[in-house]
Amino acid sequence: MIQRQKKIVETMVFSIPAIILVSLTIYIPFLMSSYYSLTEWNGISKQAVFIGFRNFTALLQGKKEFLTSLWFTTKYTIGYVILSNLIALLLAVALTKRFRLANFFRGIFFVPYIMSMTIVGFIWKFIFTSGFEKLFEFTGWQLWNYSWLGSSHLVFYSVVFVGVWQSLGFYIVLYIAGLQAIPKDVLEAATVDGASSWQKFSRVTLPLLGPSFTTCIFMALTNGLKVFDIILALTKGGPGTASNSVTLQIYKEAFTNNNYGLGSAESIIYFLFVLILTQVVLSAFRRKEVDL
Amino acid sequence: MTLKNQKMIYKVILMICLTMLACMYIYPVFLMFMNSFKPFGEIIANVLAFPSKLDLSNYIYVFNKMKYLRLFRNNVIITVIGIVGIIIFSSMAAYILDRRRGKYSSVAYALIITPMLIPFQTIMLTLLKSMNTLHLSGSKIGLGVQYWGFGIPMATFIFYNFMKTIPIEIDESAKIDGASTFTIYIKIIFPLLKSVTVTVIVLDVMWIWNDFLLPLLMVNTSNETKTLVLAAYTFIGQMNTKWNYALTAMVMAIVPSIIIFILLQKYIVEGVVAGAVKG
Repeated sequence: MIQRQKKIVETMVFSIPAIILVSLTIYIPFLMSSYYSLTEWNGISKQAVFIGFRNFTALLQGKKEFLTSLWFTTKYTIGYVILSNLIALLLAVALTKRFRLANFFRGIFFVPYIMSMTIVGFIWKFIFTSGFEKLFEFTGWQLWNYSWLGSSHLVFYSVVFVGVWQSLGFYIVLYIAGLQAIPKDVLEAATVDGASSWQKFSRVTLPLLGPSFTTCIFMALTNGLKVFDIILALTKGGPGTASNSVTLQIYKEAFTNNNYGLGSAESIIYFLFVLILTQVVLSAFRRKEVDL
Repeated sequence: MTLKNQKMIYKVILMICLTMLACMYIYPVFLMFMNSFKPFGEIIANVLAFPSKLDLSNYIYVFNKMKYLRLFRNNVIITVIGIVGIIIFSSMAAYILDRRRGKYSSVAYALIITPMLIPFQTIMLTLLKSMNTLHLSGSKIGLGVQYWGFGIPMATFIFYNFMKTIPIEIDESAKIDGASTFTIYIKIIFPLLKSVTVTVIVLDVMWIWNDFLLPLLMVNTSNETKTLVLAAYTFIGQMNTKWNYALTAMVMAIVPSIIIFILLQKYIVEGVVAGAVKG
């Protein structure tokens, strides 16, 4: 009996610190967010006024900014997921061919991923403004002369481009790991059966890459939905609200507009949005995976 | 023979394309480095040209103005505090929750890893309020401690999955020799976790070192506590169009990561892959 009690105490001593820390930094603020989302609160006054679901109805019907930012984040995520995965897969296939500089190139593509996203945003701000101006002078190509950050149409493409540029190396190494895990004998068997290179790729390699697709697309999805630093450094959500992501909108609502209650409501909607989207995508992919 | 030649040609074309692509890819970073050595006038005159002479005055100015050494030290302190705590608390929890299966353990495990589903931005507003109450905001140590909470879910998940591969017989034979649970953890289990510990360290160093939003919320009020990226953000904001100083600040903010990457490339890439596949 004493032995049993000792075991229970031990289990708790080992695991309670982790539970307390997680609760303090995540669960308690989450519960507070849920409560404040039902109030009107400016963040400074002691008393938050309880107003029920009025914040939520205001966000989903009246306030355009929030829905616009949600739509921007959705568009951004779709563009980011598709482009980063497609380009990373192509480059991974090329970089698994045997040649001398392959490792060096992998390193090159990985460099932006280890840099701070804020700094990446600034680098591209510099390139989009000063760099492109000079390139236009040199080449005369109209491409360099567009206002990539100043036009509300183009800014979407610029932001997606920079997002993909920053993290491409990450998806490349994941796909390379996936490609290298494909058993050689399966590919050889296909060659013996007379399959062409394209057939081998589309009928053997791609289906067997299933787990890599799931990982990469899931990662890209969560990273895309979280986009913040890059946009803050690159455009601050502008021009106007043309590149305003939800995360940026939540931040501004609270710290610029001092609407903590409304900001909390926005963050709860954002949480549900992310949760539903990731679970739907994840279960869709799990069903499609091919087992070896 | 012709087939072989054809393959060679394909390979050469592929090589050329890849080389061009890699050059274009890294060109913005290169351009930033190059322009950080130029005085303002030269940047305006021609961004693409090489600097006329090797001039370090931008670096000297930014180094002193940003108080670079202090920022660097702040980053190291925060990252080390964060990592050490994450590793200790996560590996301990993962160890015991795997070895003592039962109702309590499954609830505790679920509690610890579920926060992986909650995006940081959902809680950032109220986090600031609760951390003010706990006096964990506004200090380096406080920020480091907060990373414990944010790092534990993912780290515990990775450690827990690895624990399953360590046979329980190892614990049992040590127990027969009279070792306590804590001794088993310190002397036997923790050393066996080495490979995943490296993974966790790689992932968390990259995250904490470059993190922006949490430091922005917590330690932005005083120059004493700012992190490298945060100070660079403020500094670049103030410099606005003085690109020579802004670019130098950018270079100085990312150079530590680049040096570490060049030295530890293999571990970093392996760690990132392992972390993604397990996470």
